[in-house]
Amino acid sequence: MAAPALKALRGKSGWAPGVLRAVCPLLGQTQVRWSRYGPEFRDPLIDKEHYRKPVAELTEEEKYDQELKKTQLIKAAPATKTSSVFADPVISKFTNMMMKGGNKVLARSLMNQTLEYVKRKQFEKYHAASGEEQATIERNPYTIFHQALKNCEPVIGLVPILRGGHFYQVPVPLADRRRRFLAMKWMITECRKNKHRRTLMPEKLSHELLQAFHNQGPVIKRKHDMHKMAEANRALAHYRWW
Amino acid sequence: MAAPCVSCAGALSFRLFLLGRVSLARRQGLWQTAAASLQTAPGSQILRLIYTTVVTTKKNVPASRCETYTEDFIKKQIEEFNIGKRHLANMMGEDPETFTQEDIDRAIVYLFPSGLFEKRARPIMKHPEQIFPKQRAIQWGEDGRPFHFLFYTGKQSYYSLMHEVYGKLLQIEKHQNQLRAKGLLPEKTETKDLIGSRWLIKEELEEMLVEKLSDQDYVRFIQLLEKLLTLQCDPAEEKFVQKFRRSVAIQSKKQLIEPVQYDEQGRAFSTSEGRRKSAKAEAVVYEHGSGRITVNGADYLLYFPITQDREQLMFPFHFLDRLGKHDVTCTVSGGGRSAQAGAIRLAMAKALCSFITEDEVEWMRQAGLLTPDPRVRERKKPGQEGARRKFTWKKR
Repeated sequence: MAAPALKALRGKSGWAPGVLRAVCPLLGQTQVRWSRYGPEFRDPLIDKEHYRKPVAELTEEEKYDQELKKTQLIKAAPATKTSSVFADPVISKFTNMMMKGGNKVLARSLMNQTLEYVKRKQFEKYHAASGEEQATIERNPYTIFHQALKNCEPVIGLVPILRGGHFYQVPVPLADRRRRFLAMKWMITECRKNKHRRTLMPEKLSHELLQAFHNQGPVIKRKHDMHKMAEANRALAHYRWW
Repeated sequence: MAAPCVSCAGALSFRLFLLGRVSLARRQGLWQTAAASLQTAPGSQILRLIYTTVVTTKKNVPASRCETYTEDFIKKQIEEFNIGKRHLANMMGEDPETFTQEDIDRAIVYLFPSGLFEKRARPIMKHPEQIFPKQRAIQWGEDGRPFHFLFYTGKQSYYSLMHEVYGKLLQIEKHQNQLRAKGLLPEKTETKDLIGSRWLIKEELEEMLVEKLSDQDYVRFIQLLEKLLTLQCDPAEEKFVQKFRRSVAIQSKKQLIEPVQYDEQGRAFSTSEGRRKSAKAEAVVYEHGSGRITVNGADYLLYFPITQDREQLMFPFHFLDRLGKHDVTCTVSGGGRSAQAGAIRLAMAKALCSFITEDEVEWMRQAGLLTPDPRVRERKKPGQEGARRKFTWKKR
């Protein structure tokens, strides 16, 4: 009942920016989970540069947003986020996925050790290499991490769809966040499952990251397998209705 | 002196209501019988009366009231309320002419102290307009013919309002076309301040029109008002539109800024408290310093060996580029290590507000540094293993 009204209104132009949301903040959403914050609370924005921008540089829309934010209640910043230059959202997400049983201290120390190992291995290679090769060797562990995860992201995924009593694996385009999640998940699963009992996580993870950085290794293979399966099931693509 | 007081008390007990959608007649009966029976009847009668109240005011059941309150009845209630207000003012020794609603509330809290947790169950004394829901008079005359021409739409006030607003819109457009034809149309003046106020929400509009509305009705109405706003209107039209807007407070003004204090050596400092889960912290931030933080007498590096906690301590200062410029001494108790760090962070941010500009306070608020975190441990529920985890499902 409310959804068609929303769709009709979205097409209208000439509304002041943000009016629709101001008028009907919950139109089209069903509240399932409850939280200690009321529905009127907005998420905090932790970006120093955003607030330091001089007023002259802002567009109309930004000025309106700024004024609007002054009247809104804001949630508290979570304990994992800071304005520090060393804070990286991808690294934080990966650390949380590695965490077991709420042991963030251990997960973070493993992550730091992994990055340290990556850096050490790259420096060893750097010192052992000749002049021209030295220019090609990447030593920043953060760029290696980001590039490795980007290389592991699948482009297309498979979704089981029920038709006529059978589940068919249908190729489906993936959203960005799903791709990032799959890349991280595969990396972590690979490092937990296929390692020798005595090797520790940082060592194995640094090894896998370096391999993925060079587009080699089991995680990249898994990504290619996923692509091949999707290519093989091309005929089922019309089972998708969205 | 005793006799007038008794009569006042009698009038007052007649006037007091428990806020809730219980019919007045039944409630009156309850109070009178309760008041009378307290002296005479045995306990069982009182218990029976209480039982009936509980049944009629069940939660989540909309009050199905068939009684209508006549206008005379409401007028009588208003008169009695005013008389009762004057009696109350006399009892409290205040001036009856300048006795406001807040004074009434305070007097009732003083005279009838209630330890009930449910605020709505405590005794109140309010104007009958706020207690009895607004009702509409009979819409048709003696011959059965309705007064309003839109009666048979079912929502006469809503449609007549839409009709009126659309009429105004057409009028303004016609006027503007005429001006444009003559070339006398004034240039677009500055846009009105839309942020300090908001549109009425659907519930408020329903209350205003005393009619049930659907979501689409409400949305259409707001759409029409928006269209009216985009055209330039005269002050009369603006006033008409302002009736449908409510003001919205600017949140940063609500932030309490601690005053700056000075110690014996003349150093400026500011104190503030912070809480997170069950941790309580108090921070003293000195205006000039070298970035040393002392927690419970120990250095912060020793007290918080975990990097994440130290990052949280550094957060407010780093956000405002004041990393090595303040000294902090704090005391913290309760909670775990992360909760203590969060509590100190909040306390430091609040104390810092005394030394920075208003804009920076607003930036901190928007970054979430000045909001106390309301998240606490969720209780375990019966029939489940934990707060959310259910017991393992067994088929048989």
